[in-house]
Amino acid sequence: MKIKKKLELVCPAGTPASLRAAVDAGADTVYFGFRDETNARNFPGLNFSREEARDGVAYAHQRNVKIYIPINTFPEAGNPAPWHRAIDDAAHLNVDAVIIADIGLAAYAAETHPALRRHLSVQASASNPEAIRFYHEAFDIKRVVLPRVLTVPEIAALNREVPVETEVFAFGGLCVMAEGRCSLSSYATGISPNKNGACSPASHVRYVEKGNKMVSKLGDFTINEFTAEETAGYPTLCKGRFVTGGRASYLFEEPTSLNVIEILPELMAAGVSGLKIEGRQRGRAYVAKVVAAFRQAIDAAAEDRTVDVSNLLSVTEGQRQTTGVYEKTWR
Amino acid sequence: MQSSTGMTPPLSPVLFAGFLFRPIPAVLLQPPLDAALYAIQKRHPDLFERLAGFGNPVYLIDPVDLPYAFLLKPEPRAARLLVVRDTAGQEADAVIRGPFLSLLKLLEGNIDGDSLFFSRELVIEGDTEAVVALRNAVDGAEIDIINDLLAALGPLAKPAGKAAALAGRVFKRAASDLSAVRDAMIAPALQRGEANGSALQELESRVERLSRRGRPVKHPSGPDQGEPT
Repeated sequence: MKIKKKLELVCPAGTPASLRAAVDAGADTVYFGFRDETNARNFPGLNFSREEARDGVAYAHQRNVKIYIPINTFPEAGNPAPWHRAIDDAAHLNVDAVIIADIGLAAYAAETHPALRRHLSVQASASNPEAIRFYHEAFDIKRVVLPRVLTVPEIAALNREVPVETEVFAFGGLCVMAEGRCSLSSYATGISPNKNGACSPASHVRYVEKGNKMVSKLGDFTINEFTAEETAGYPTLCKGRFVTGGRASYLFEEPTSLNVIEILPELMAAGVSGLKIEGRQRGRAYVAKVVAAFRQAIDAAAEDRTVDVSNLLSVTEGQRQTTGVYEKTWR
Repeated sequence: MQSSTGMTPPLSPVLFAGFLFRPIPAVLLQPPLDAALYAIQKRHPDLFERLAGFGNPVYLIDPVDLPYAFLLKPEPRAARLLVVRDTAGQEADAVIRGPFLSLLKLLEGNIDGDSLFFSRELVIEGDTEAVVALRNAVDGAEIDIINDLLAALGPLAKPAGKAAALAGRVFKRAASDLSAVRDAMIAPALQRGEANGSALQELESRVERLSRRGRPVKHPSGPDQGEPT
């Protein structure tokens, strides 16, 4: 039996415990951020101190698992030092790649640490061959994390035209906006996911029990009202249920998680290199469960086998899942 | 913060244990709870280190199936967990409410907090940032309550471990039996609900058919002649 080249399973970790859970569950690569605003999951109590990062790299490398460090927010004007320090520290930690969005930071990394492998974050929103070729030629970017706006045939076509690897989101939260350019959270809270690293920051979120309804609020905005029978979602504006024409509905997207486990063969055939599990903000029980399921599914897909993977519905947002735009059925 | 509990407790051995514990004053539960928290902190001295920078929030932990609640003051290396009888009138920055076993699994990182929240098994109120920070702190600490407590018992750990394993098996069996009792009790109501659902679906289909029958035929080249009747 011919074994195809396996997709690389790239897994999230918000704490050292999650990193160990991901490695032990079969991750090929774990990605985690430093505990500051240099990454797009700058959530309270989350992420790695430099010391934890050093130990995490050692734990992973001893088990032949790679480490990527996302430094994927955009440096504050006049204050690039924290971002430069993050690049320097990642290089000194001997990580396997940094994931960058900002052009200036890409230039700094390429000039200061040429041997440090560079990936382009989804936050750069590079979705066409011209943009990707530019990043490759200018900063020797080796891999691009594709925005969640392309169908599988479009990814296949793109892969034929670009000189770099591509990585796609496989499971977890969906973002329907132009990534790295969304200002909804900034508008509502004054805190930007792109600069401060927190979309719908917890400091501005409130949940209020109103009768038998749970109301979620972001800043001054009511995001949703859930009856006791309804499953809930994240309190982001893009997943809000708003009243228009006298009727409450999800205007942008419903609380649903991406899950590509059933289309892995198609993604392999499209020439994708890496599969990214979203969810650094999730607990280690989520990490262990999702990574184990995808490990099984990826191994099976490489051998042209089908496998009945464990049900992941219980860990999805709103307890619903979709293949999203990969199998686009709308215009 | 005054909180109200709108959650229905699940039918579980915890609920019945709560009935048995009800006559016991909260003050009598405090010493064993202090000892338990001391044992956990001894094994996980950095447990609340991730909360640094978020002030000193006070959490009201409210297991909906027990007649007690807990006030958590997670100061690094000097945390306090106070048993309270009533949630009303308690001053707290945030409330975390759910079934006792779910809260326990959350403490041990055996269940994902977001998933619990999505399924509505977990209710949070108040300072969301403080709740998220606490969740990340305990999830990263790799607490194992039984083993943490056993470790504090020294030479008694082995027999206590055997007793805990036995209690675990009894609890599991009781939970399974209660689940069967619950299924048997709600089966008639479920059947009635299904029958009503089928009848409603049939009615909706009839209305839809009648509505289509009364709808005017659309002229191929002209506008609609009116609204469906």
